[in-house]
Amino acid sequence: MKITKKRLSQAVVTGLAALCLPLALQAASDDEHKYHQLFEDNCASCHGSDHGGYLAPALNAETLKGRSPTALRTIIMAGSFDTLMPPFYGKLSDDNIRGLVSHLKLTPKLDNPAWTIDDIKKSIKVYVKDESTLPAKPTFKIDDIDDIIGVAARGKYGRGEGSRAIFINSKTHQKIGEVPTGTAAHIIEYNPANPRWAYVKTDTAEIFKVDLYSMQAVRSVKTGFNGPGIGVSRDGKYILAGSFVPHNAVLLNADTLEPIKTFELEGIDPDGKQVSSDSGMIIGTPFDDIFAIALENAGQVWVIDLKEGFPVTRITNVGRHLHDAFLTHGGRKLMIASYDDSIVAAIDLKDRKIIKKLEAGCVPHVGGGSAVVVDGRTLGFGTNFGDCDKTVVSVWDLDKMEVVKQIPVDGGTESPAAHANAPYVAVDIISKDRRARTVQLIDKKSLEVVKTLDVGGHAYFPEYSADGKFLYISAGYSGDQVVVYDSFSLEKVATIPMESPAGIFSHGRVRYMTRGLSPDELAQRDGDLKGAKK
Amino acid sequence: MKAIIFTSMMTAGLVSFNVSAQQAASVYAGEHRAEVVCSQCHGIRMPSADAPFPPLAGRDAAYLESALKQYRDKTRKSDIMNNIAGSLSDQDIENVAAYYSGLKP
Repeated sequence: MKITKKRLSQAVVTGLAALCLPLALQAASDDEHKYHQLFEDNCASCHGSDHGGYLAPALNAETLKGRSPTALRTIIMAGSFDTLMPPFYGKLSDDNIRGLVSHLKLTPKLDNPAWTIDDIKKSIKVYVKDESTLPAKPTFKIDDIDDIIGVAARGKYGRGEGSRAIFINSKTHQKIGEVPTGTAAHIIEYNPANPRWAYVKTDTAEIFKVDLYSMQAVRSVKTGFNGPGIGVSRDGKYILAGSFVPHNAVLLNADTLEPIKTFELEGIDPDGKQVSSDSGMIIGTPFDDIFAIALENAGQVWVIDLKEGFPVTRITNVGRHLHDAFLTHGGRKLMIASYDDSIVAAIDLKDRKIIKKLEAGCVPHVGGGSAVVVDGRTLGFGTNFGDCDKTVVSVWDLDKMEVVKQIPVDGGTESPAAHANAPYVAVDIISKDRRARTVQLIDKKSLEVVKTLDVGGHAYFPEYSADGKFLYISAGYSGDQVVVYDSFSLEKVATIPMESPAGIFSHGRVRYMTRGLSPDELAQRDGDLKGAKK
Repeated sequence: MKAIIFTSMMTAGLVSFNVSAQQAASVYAGEHRAEVVCSQCHGIRMPSADAPFPPLAGRDAAYLESALKQYRDKTRKSDIMNNIAGSLSDQDIENVAAYYSGLKP
């Protein structure tokens, strides 16, 4: 009865440009406001502020059409098995859950909310006013700053106390610092020019500038509503951050986090349609003073020069639904995954054109990507998470740009890890059953799966320590710990508890550029190119 | 009756497969069951810092077993726990209790 009444009044509100609201309607609009706020506070960081979905499905009138309100209420109450969806039983009252379900079933996907350069500027928060007061050296014992491994702990609810960036000494496997991020930490980037700074991007598109020496956030800025894209320029002076909502990217001063320029992401897609686009991967390269950014829906890669006016070179027709990428050849070549045509496109960032499109399994998701040098060849490893008959990891010869092998694995995969000193390339099996607990190891030389680790939880995002001696893996949601293995014996050596760990990011990445490459080899092979620098 | 509860659990997406019954308590099987069925709310070592649910790690195995059986038999009332425990066999309960009781919180 209550619900029917609400539906009626809401329909009227939507239908009218209400000038003078009668009491009943005023109440309904208050209700709508309340449920919108509940959605923002509990659901939006995964399901999207525009109700268009992000990590989790879109929740709006169209996508929920015909879905039983009881079934939806059950999912909200109890959570959903092998997904990040937590149980809201005890957190939201039953009345609120019921109200939220009817609100969602009536709300259309909203237009992209605006988030302008002024909004970005106003969102800057300063936690440490005078950075000269920060300690000159790490306040904890560590042999090399590259030994730091950062873990994006999402927190069970994607927000709250459990949401933090957690930093670990990868030689002792002890936590050395925790930086609360309010909402789920998603990506951790390190400044290639100054080892003390890390940047943590959350699911609500906030970026925290973190001082690794004192393990605290010094500033933050909100760059949009969601979207994982973030890169740091090789000189450490600029950050480029991209959003799904709204469809833009913003260039920031890496020191102050002040916005410098926004880029509206739109263009003509490979099918000839003019589209407004989500931001895909963003990458700074040791090769040049540029950023590369993928326009997911427009299928374009833009190269932004970090010079007067920040001009953009558009590389079009790269693929349908671009997502993530990795660098090779001193950062000159970019390998970018295209979901919908199941290819990885190789792009030359010097000539700014497509070199070749390579077969990449089924819905390629290369994660951070991996490349290893074996017998003089640079081999790239590509994971893919499509639900196809054939689940393989693709191996490409990155010198010749050709497919070497498609290695059969147990299921869909999301992220490969490799290290110049470690014998195996690790891939996370994410298929939604018992296989989700496992990570498979591919021998670099034989290119065969040689071992399956039962990590527990939803195991994903493997990462090697900077010295290559240890393999870190998130036993993600339902595991609530990071598990550490010896890279050679594959014995379990440590577990580190935290709430819903996801991405793992070694500080060593700034030195080897792409996981699996050795900084020495890079310098040698690429001669006069600057290569990955320390 | 049990079938109905089981079906409703499937709808809630909480149960993915059956563990073969009639073995001694297995911590390993318990770990998997705990991850699939319990950890959403109770976590492994600790529930979420933001969650209103009690921790299970390090609790007495006999207590966990009797509580789960009471929830399953509905001699102890809780809408959500009556449903969830309803999906567990005696063997599951023994395994889960063995697993959680052995964990350090």
